[in-house]
Amino acid sequence: MKKGLILLLITLLVMAFVSGCAKKPTKEIEETQTAVNNVISEGLGKYSPDDEKKLKDALAAAMEEIKTQEGKTFKNFDKAKQMLADVKKNAEELKASLPQKKEAAKQNALQAQEGAKASVEEAKSLLAKAPKGKGTAADIEALRGDVKGLEDSLNEVQSLIEKEEFIEASNKANAIKEKATGVSNQIKEAMEKIKAKKPAKK
Amino acid sequence: MKFLTLFSLIIIILNGCFKSELSLPEVDLLEKQYYNLWKAQAHLYLPIEFNLYQERIKKAKNHLREIESKLFFLRDYNPVQKEFIEILKQGEELSKSLEIELQRRSLLILQRINKIEDKIKNLNNFTLNANEGINLRRNLTKSEILLYEGRSLYERGRYIDSEEKLNNVEKYLDESEKKMSKILNRFKEINQIEKWKKWAKEAIHDSKKGYSILIIKIERKMIIYKDEKPIKIYPIGLGLRGLSDKYHAKDYATPEGRYKVIRKNPKSKYYKALLINYPNEEDIREFYKAKTKGLIPKTAKIGGLIEIHGGGSNSITYGCISLDNEQMEELYGLVDEGVPVTIVGALN
Repeated sequence: MKKGLILLLITLLVMAFVSGCAKKPTKEIEETQTAVNNVISEGLGKYSPDDEKKLKDALAAAMEEIKTQEGKTFKNFDKAKQMLADVKKNAEELKASLPQKKEAAKQNALQAQEGAKASVEEAKSLLAKAPKGKGTAADIEALRGDVKGLEDSLNEVQSLIEKEEFIEASNKANAIKEKATGVSNQIKEAMEKIKAKKPAKK
Repeated sequence: MKFLTLFSLIIIILNGCFKSELSLPEVDLLEKQYYNLWKAQAHLYLPIEFNLYQERIKKAKNHLREIESKLFFLRDYNPVQKEFIEILKQGEELSKSLEIELQRRSLLILQRINKIEDKIKNLNNFTLNANEGINLRRNLTKSEILLYEGRSLYERGRYIDSEEKLNNVEKYLDESEKKMSKILNRFKEINQIEKWKKWAKEAIHDSKKGYSILIIKIERKMIIYKDEKPIKIYPIGLGLRGLSDKYHAKDYATPEGRYKVIRKNPKSKYYKALLINYPNEEDIREFYKAKTKGLIPKTAKIGGLIEIHGGGSNSITYGCISLDNEQMEELYGLVDEGVPVTIVGALN
């Protein structure tokens, strides 16, 4: 009787352990992978590459833990489940914060685009005041080519924004702004030279 | 017997479920090292080395897993611990190599940026001085913007992205240089240079009888000779496509050949002017030859009214030669109708 009780107790103990740790958390794995894929496909890497790496690594660590448990006679996936839950939670939080990051990058890009546009417009209006055709100073004529190049690049900023490449768009817009300011200064200098030469004609 | 069974079962359970972590301290260190190397972009700059390192980590972890799947009193961590220590050393080596690689790339990018800046400067000077290739400046501006982006990426340590931008800059600059070469090739032809040299000699020889004007387009200068000696040198402005030879009206090129002053205009729109006898006989011959060969439009006219006038040596013209007004005044006083005017592309 006593022997039977002990055996029953042992069997129950083994069953408890085996049933407690044997099940591979397939559902949790799928849900976590989906959450991670969602946030990555929405551009996490573009706006926060470090977060993307950490997330991927955390998922890989959880999967490794599952692999470790699978190699064991008596499996315990509790830790893996907890890891997966943490990854999923993190992925969801990152996904929730992504629109803000995206919006901030978009606003930066739009602001930079406006700045670049204004600078190019300034250069264009200065050129409009400069003499045209025969007798035009060579440098002013050359600067017309520069303004055309600025306009081309400005169009590239717009297409980058349309493709949601906000960071790249901001960089380009800032570069255009700097170059356009330089062109405006050169136009002013060329006009000054022309003005300075005029009295000599008298 | 029953106690032995119970003891064994407890051992198995403890072994299986409660000791599930990869329990060496080196594992944590290695993970941190791996993450730092990844963050420093070792996977991008040293992909082969990084992959080998990654593979070794994977293997070592599998070994550790194998050990941990054994009964805990049968586990011998020493070999796998050594393996982890070696990988950590490999990681340190990788980190050093990465530093060297980053320095190397940084230096290369800087050299490329400097080279590109020089190229842009040269093209910039060319387009400004020769009036040619104003369209080239469109590409030049785009190159400058890309260079700015490339430099800014470089400064942020994003060397690969920076290199990509610089590749694009070089593409634009190569296109510009090709277009520039088309314009300049004529100036490398020996026969052409010999012809211009001959004209220049004749022009200098003419100065024995009086003033003789020699214009060298590529140098953008006018030399006045008297008794075979240069007495004045003036900077000049040329046509919008000043470096090309003139074939027809509205091609905005400045003609090349031996001409003479045929009329003096004291009240030109461009201060004062000396009209030359373009087109001369050779120009007319070349014009019809080009037309027959289909090199110029069928409806093209040969044009005329090529002058040396004032308005500024920095001016763009439709094919005339422009001088600063003070120098035009001086020249106008020096020369009379009939004075020879020789226009050449280059002399060397």
